[in-house]
Amino acid sequence: MQICVSGIGVVSSIGIGVDANVASLASQKDGMGSITLFDSTHNLPVSEVKASNRELVQILSLPERNTYSRTALLGMLAANEALKDAEIDLGKLRVGLVSATSVGGMDLTYGFYEEFAKDNSKGRLRDVVSHDCYDSTHKIAEYCGIKGFSTTISTACSSAANAVMLGARLIKHGYLDCVVVGGTDALCKFTLNGFNSLMILDSQKCRPFDNSRAGLNLGEGAGYIVLQRTDTVSRKPYCLLGGFANANDAYHQTASSAEGNGAYLAMSQALSMSGLKPSDISYINVHGTGTPNNDASEGAALRRLFGDSVPAFSSTKSYTGHTLAAAGGIEAVFSVLSIDRGMIFPNLNFTSPIEGLGLTPETSFSEGNDISAVMSNSFGFGGNNSSLIFTKKDGSLHQ
Amino acid sequence: MALYINSASAYHAELDFKTLIPDANMRRRMSYVVKMGVGTAMDCIRKTSVDRIDAIITATGLGCLADSEKFLKSIQDSNEQLLNPTPFIQSTFNTIGGQVALLSKSHCYNMTYAHRFSSFESALLDAIMMAEDGEAEHILVGTADEKTPTQQKIMERLGAFRKGNTPDEGSFFFMLSRTPATECLGVIEGLYLGGQNPNGEFDIAINADKGYHTASAAAMFKGVEEVRSGAKRVLVVNGDYKIALKCM
Repeated sequence: MQICVSGIGVVSSIGIGVDANVASLASQKDGMGSITLFDSTHNLPVSEVKASNRELVQILSLPERNTYSRTALLGMLAANEALKDAEIDLGKLRVGLVSATSVGGMDLTYGFYEEFAKDNSKGRLRDVVSHDCYDSTHKIAEYCGIKGFSTTISTACSSAANAVMLGARLIKHGYLDCVVVGGTDALCKFTLNGFNSLMILDSQKCRPFDNSRAGLNLGEGAGYIVLQRTDTVSRKPYCLLGGFANANDAYHQTASSAEGNGAYLAMSQALSMSGLKPSDISYINVHGTGTPNNDASEGAALRRLFGDSVPAFSSTKSYTGHTLAAAGGIEAVFSVLSIDRGMIFPNLNFTSPIEGLGLTPETSFSEGNDISAVMSNSFGFGGNNSSLIFTKKDGSLHQ
Repeated sequence: MALYINSASAYHAELDFKTLIPDANMRRRMSYVVKMGVGTAMDCIRKTSVDRIDAIITATGLGCLADSEKFLKSIQDSNEQLLNPTPFIQSTFNTIGGQVALLSKSHCYNMTYAHRFSSFESALLDAIMMAEDGEAEHILVGTADEKTPTQQKIMERLGAFRKGNTPDEGSFFFMLSRTPATECLGVIEGLYLGGQNPNGEFDIAINADKGYHTASAAAMFKGVEEVRSGAKRVLVVNGDYKIALKCM
């Protein structure tokens, strides 16, 4: 059964909506800046969505008094854009939602807890009822009018890629005709301090796959795509979901193995499901966080799989920052655009390749390339590694 | 397709953690819920003759709550300075799945669902699809949640206990396989979504719609005990979700 991508939606630091994101990608404009969403003693570059919660509430036409976490608001915007783009008739098809998040309502919980810790009878309850991961998924489904099966995946930074995989399988097994899949995560003080305590945040703009890379920049946002059985589409689909796989590095809770075992397994198994050869891949949207460990490990895995002919690749985290559970969704949208419009995105801030690997990412923007297959990598804590492959809609590669 | 329950484990304080999690440093760093979940999962693996795992699928409603709170408190107490990263690392929802992969050296598919009271059913649905696809022969599926004083206080303030919700915690793991091992305990006939119902009569129906996170896994564990001790068919009901079990 062929599963196609019929809709895309994205909110990130480089824009609200697909068009705004494409404009920033093309003009090489990143979304990094200082922290404005909360007070912090850290002076670190972050990649915030350039709208306050109040503004997001207005864009979404929601009541002013509400219990929406920023994670839910970002997710609602992107998921709804994707659903509208796909021109889905919610009354005719069985439509579901598989959404990913890692921080959930932690942005609101933070404020609640400040009060609660001083006095257990204090803290506004409406700031804590949205804490769990389910809450944002539930609110997105409600806002978009999605009534079919929905669930939430939380596997750290590979979450949204895993949501795409589950969605495809739900269609294949006949549980749904159509499913909105992706992820959402808001920037919050909890994750900023978490990654800072791990000492993997760069105090400058991140430099994925560069020899001088010194860490990641945290971002926020949401990215969703609509998956459909090809016989149910109401518009011309963008591309097909050709293959996917999840594998575990089984090396360390937060670090990746030097050989990139998990990454290698995920990429090669996804390739094997798609029936493609390594040389069929035209572009790879790498995980490329910019940490010394991730890029060395992912680079080693790329070399193992592709040898001397590693395809064109780049990390768009140099634009959006690392958006955690949303990353796989945002990058799925970029990968779909790559196939549909022949776009290759530059890896910003790159000057010299990692010693010993000799891998040079793309550094300029181009469109109209002949792109027939794109790989998108997302790796997370717990050794959780996922790889997705999108292919041309005519299925020419699969015959 | 039917899935064979080749082993089942429920957390209890007498689990031999030193044998189940031999690395003393790893054990020491684990919070209560992580130790509970990983220990129960490893116990479940140890009980079977199954020699490999092809998928590890975990479910949790609130994840590693105590560690999340510990890290949150440390940010606020020390004004964001010199924080210990361990509670942050272990606050991730897939910590238990990741640690089980590490301990069992499993490079296989590893997934975590966090969807409030139906997280376990999502994990089970994933397992059934993996088995149907022939992607996995042996699948470890389980759940873990902890209650903390803060969560209890918040639930109390929200009036959750007045609505009859029972606070609970625990961990339950099951080794599900496409074929029965000699020690097989029972069979999952099917998982029913969206209010659909299985055909035929059931000896026992267990209501798992109790408003706490481990309820349906606990009910399935109880259902396995029932089919082991004479019941032919048992139905676990959690709102719109139903799990049908039968004896071997």
